[in-house]
Amino acid sequence: MMKKQIQKLNKGEAVTGYLFILPQMIGLMIFVIIPLVMIITYSFQNRNFLFGNLGFCGLENYRMLIDDEIFLMTLKNTLIFSLGVVPLNLVLSLALAMFLAGSAGGTSVVRGVIFLPVITSGVAWSIVFKFLLQGGPTGPINSILSIFGIEGPNWLFERGWAMFSVVVARVLKNLGMNVLIFMGAVMNLPQDVIEAGKIDGAGRMKLFSKIKLPLLMPSILMVMIVTLIGSMRVFDTIKLMTDGGPEGSTMVLVYYIYHQAFKSFSIGYASTIAVVLFVIVLILTIFQWSLRKKADYYEN
Amino acid sequence: MLKKLTAILLISAMVLSGLFAAGAKEEAAPSGPVSIKIATWTSNQSQLDLLGSFVKEFAEKEGIEIDVTFESIAFAEYNTKLSLELQGSDAPDVFWVLETSAPAFIQSGLLAELDSAMAEYDPDDFSKPAMQLWQKGGKTYAVPFSTSPFFVIYNEDLFRAAGLETPAELSAKGEWNWDAFRNSSKKIKDATGIYGYQTVDGGGYNERILHNLCPIIRSYGADVWTADGKILINSPEAVAAVQLFHDMLYKDGSVVPPGDQSDFFSGNAAMTVGQVSRVSKLSSASFAWGIAPMPAGPEGDVPVIGQAAIGAFSKGKNVEIAKKLVAYMTNEECVKRIAGIWPPARKSVLESEDFLSSNAAVKPEQMAAAVAASIKTGKVLPSHVQYPQIEVESKIVWDRLWKADADVKAVLDDVAKVYAKYIK
Repeated sequence: MMKKQIQKLNKGEAVTGYLFILPQMIGLMIFVIIPLVMIITYSFQNRNFLFGNLGFCGLENYRMLIDDEIFLMTLKNTLIFSLGVVPLNLVLSLALAMFLAGSAGGTSVVRGVIFLPVITSGVAWSIVFKFLLQGGPTGPINSILSIFGIEGPNWLFERGWAMFSVVVARVLKNLGMNVLIFMGAVMNLPQDVIEAGKIDGAGRMKLFSKIKLPLLMPSILMVMIVTLIGSMRVFDTIKLMTDGGPEGSTMVLVYYIYHQAFKSFSIGYASTIAVVLFVIVLILTIFQWSLRKKADYYEN
Repeated sequence: MLKKLTAILLISAMVLSGLFAAGAKEEAAPSGPVSIKIATWTSNQSQLDLLGSFVKEFAEKEGIEIDVTFESIAFAEYNTKLSLELQGSDAPDVFWVLETSAPAFIQSGLLAELDSAMAEYDPDDFSKPAMQLWQKGGKTYAVPFSTSPFFVIYNEDLFRAAGLETPAELSAKGEWNWDAFRNSSKKIKDATGIYGYQTVDGGGYNERILHNLCPIIRSYGADVWTADGKILINSPEAVAAVQLFHDMLYKDGSVVPPGDQSDFFSGNAAMTVGQVSRVSKLSSASFAWGIAPMPAGPEGDVPVIGQAAIGAFSKGKNVEIAKKLVAYMTNEECVKRIAGIWPPARKSVLESEDFLSSNAAVKPEQMAAAVAASIKTGKVLPSHVQYPQIEVESKIVWDRLWKADADVKAVLDDVAKVYAKYIK
């Protein structure tokens, strides 16, 4: 009798619970699940923005990827971009976090300055960088370099320099958020462990590499995953600073998806590339997550 | 528990009923003004007001009420946004169409056939070459409202400062050719430190690459590709033409280079290429300016025309009204009133004396030399049903040209290979 009453009560509570999460689930369905299913469906269709659905094409879009030199180039560019952004972002943000968490005073202004780009519009940030990085002697950064007798390159129109420029712009834009996360982690490091290390004679470097770094590993891995996924989804910086050029050297996967879908109108093929990107990000996330279990000594 | 559940259900019911009520309200409004949305790439308010006055007059003529909204989309993003909107529920009923995308838009069936609507406005008055791009199978799918040749706009003060004759003066003497153009550009840069030339809207290395190079290439006797599928971009004449521009850019250093935001209209370049519609940007210019025809090449003066048309969305909510509106907006009376901004394809207007004085900022003799004469002999840019793909893919190859040590012939050979994938 009592058991039945509890079951009835649990059912009622379950319904209430479902009703509470209903708005969230509707949002998830509309903005994530349905588009995802549509993209996977489109990837098997010869679909064009102007001409509509020209029919089922099986694996033809996937086969085309193998022969598509631009796609292979964008894969390489995305890898280069991520390899530039992730380590640079991690090293800089961790170094700044250690510095800021350790300093006694005068850091609020510095913290503000570092965090400012995060709350600045990505569009405004990219446009300002594009202005600063103008080629020739009239460009603001090149003008400064010329004071020291250095002839600056045409930053956004020369291979190599263009990728370097978008990486730096992207890193500086998002640095503040990672600094904030690392600062929280650094300030919460168990002082007794650090003290014990000091008593045992550990120097600054040893203290960092053998005690602080392993303790910070959960935060580092989390930041690494978020930054890596973010770097693979970069769009605004590329669109506004280089338009994928020069010679496609900054054309990354997301920007190529945009080009195929909204410039060439090949929505079916663009969906296929989107599916590939989804799979890549999924594999990387699973890999990093499994790495987390191995590297994270101190997680409960 | 029951109370909680009832409260949640009540709130959900209220929200849903509100949503349905809003939907019902929208559907239950068949009478009243007809909503017409017009997409353009101009954001010039006086130009939009002029177009708006046509809509008002059309509504009065038809005895209906029209609630018109203009949507100005940036030129570089025009096709992207327009094509996206045409898939949604808030698509424009009437929209401008770029010449390069004409074949794709016509073939896709997004443009409504306009012949019946145009019948009452003397369609034979349109020049046949001007209509060619906008017709298929003898039917008209858009009407060119602008058949506007490109010409040189120059900063007279900078020419005087460098002690040079202006392009108009050289043109009058029959000495305005690409060599004179290059010479002037270099001398101005050397004498004043200001760039001699800025490409069309500063987009000559990106979305305006063909607008920039085509006039030189054609006056050298070549083309990008021809209507019958011949690819000429790597022909010796085209290579010589592109080499001229490349030399101006890297040997002379007289052209605003890629990545530099120096602007003609701000006084930071001595010449640019534009159309009549750009002249309005000079109304507050701090320098004396003039216009001249495009320089002649070894093959003489071969003007390039930029064409733009207006069409009705075939799947729009008010397609019949939209078709009539397009026909009305391109009738002789309306065309006369916009002729000073967008040169017409209607012979009656083009050949009239009024046309030469239709733009207050441009002198009749300038209009005659740089505009009217060029419309008669000019050619539109090449187009293709797969132009968007061609543009995206060839851009990657074109970028290789913008280096001081670029091998122009090799780059153009590779551009030709990209074109050959699509143009048969």
